[in-house]
Amino acid sequence: MFNIISLVFKYIFIFIIYVFILSIIRLIYLDIKGIYPIAVNNSAYLKLINRKDTLPFKVKEYYSLGDEVTLGRANNNQIIIKDPYISKKHLRIVKDEGKYYLEDFNSANGTFLNGEKVMDVVCLKNGDRITVGQVEFLFVNKE
Amino acid sequence: MLNGKVNYKVPRNLLFMFELLALSLMFLYYKDTLNRTTVVYSLTLILLVYISNVLLIKITSGDNYIFLIVTMLVSIGVIMIYRIDPELGMKQILWIGFGIILFFVSYILFKSTKGWENWFLIYAMVSVVLFLLTLFLGRNIKGATNWINVGGFSFQPSEIIKILSIFLIASFYTNYDRFNKLKFGKYYLMGMIYLFVLFLFLQKDLGSVLIFLSVFIALQYVYEEDRKLVYINLFILVISAIAGYFIFSHVQSRVQTWLNPWKYIDTKGYQITQSLFAIAEGGFFGTGLGLGYPDFIPEVHTDFIFSAICEEMGVFTGIGIIMLFLILVYRGFKISINQKYKFYRIVALGISILFGIQSFIIFGGVLNMIPLTGITIPFVSYGGSSMLSSFIALGILQVASEELDFDEEQ
Repeated sequence: MFNIISLVFKYIFIFIIYVFILSIIRLIYLDIKGIYPIAVNNSAYLKLINRKDTLPFKVKEYYSLGDEVTLGRANNNQIIIKDPYISKKHLRIVKDEGKYYLEDFNSANGTFLNGEKVMDVVCLKNGDRITVGQVEFLFVNKE
Repeated sequence: MLNGKVNYKVPRNLLFMFELLALSLMFLYYKDTLNRTTVVYSLTLILLVYISNVLLIKITSGDNYIFLIVTMLVSIGVIMIYRIDPELGMKQILWIGFGIILFFVSYILFKSTKGWENWFLIYAMVSVVLFLLTLFLGRNIKGATNWINVGGFSFQPSEIIKILSIFLIASFYTNYDRFNKLKFGKYYLMGMIYLFVLFLFLQKDLGSVLIFLSVFIALQYVYEEDRKLVYINLFILVISAIAGYFIFSHVQSRVQTWLNPWKYIDTKGYQITQSLFAIAEGGFFGTGLGLGYPDFIPEVHTDFIFSAICEEMGVFTGIGIIMLFLILVYRGFKISINQKYKFYRIVALGISILFGIQSFIIFGGVLNMIPLTGITIPFVSYGGSSMLSSFIALGILQVASEELDFDEEQ
């Protein structure tokens, strides 16, 4: 009796071990695919804080910031995130004299900077946490 | 299964299923001698592993794979040890439990304290003290004096010194410029490492010599600016390997059995030939747990656990273990590349090399690819000190995988 069970189980064990390895390799593959190279001369970028697989829509791990970047649900934005809690045209980040400013376009659910609601225009500094909809970004400026 | 969404639940549940199935098979195998403590302990361990995996995703912002991979390795190992000897299996279950707790302790400790890179002298002194303790209080087990006994509890100090020496190397290269200004500053580290090696020679623990020197040379190769030192070290390694061959008779016999084990099959080649027989006997899918004869190999629960796994669970499982180590080391390298702080970067690289080199030496040894050196496979073999120190190293690797102190850097 034991012999038969053991004979059957050995195939199951090998199967489980290999599916385990494959699923980890696949997770690592997704992890690597999420890393986009950041332009070296462009030193400011947004980094995603959420875990990618907890969000039900497409979002990148990094967004580099140019002179003016708009974020929203509509397709004419530079950063498009299809989160239902994000407005069509939600916010923009503008570079002015070396500093980055965040402006909220009176979005329905608002934008939060380090937990506080952004009322008008705020200046961003390195390490700020920006929350839009369900997504949380870290503002990184290496200058 | 692999086309759709895969998240962390999939491997975690697979692991849980594997442990449950294997455990019930083992209970069936030992159903006559089964007692309640065994059942309770092993079920607690399975639960602990599962909860730790869930918890870790919640508390860490870093890597989520290394702990999963390691718990898989640990599960395969403990099942095999329990099958060979239920008593050792019980002890191993306890060690793993302690190891997981130590993993979290070292994770929290290492994350909450700063300034690890400035304690070069402390690492050096603690290591030397531990070596001296081993030398004077050490017990001789199987030809090497590398165990000390403290209150009925024996452990191998060299396992802890491995981690300390990685810290030592890392703190040296983090403060490289400062050391360089001192007179003979760049030889401090080499001096320390060769002192360690001298102690290990005195203990006749040649496997550890190999590990220490490989980790040291690998890290030196990456970070040393004075390339001359790297070549000098390589030269010394070759010289000492040749010298070791002529000085120690047991090194000579290891090389002889490696070249032709069949000639010495009834004496010094017995262990390695039995290991080869076992692997061949198992074939691709193995004989099935409990249906092989792994007890024929001496020291099967520590050095030769890989052969036992190949015999009863198949060469495919053996390849699986090697692949798990491959992913683990790869993750370690990636953690090291992503880490901003030099100290943590060197530590992460050192720990990955440690895992890699250790598993390489023993896999190669039991397969008769390289001369056999008696060391443990991290996380798989039986052994308290090895298990605990490996889990501590893993905790440190986990910390290194996170982005550290972001606010302070501005």
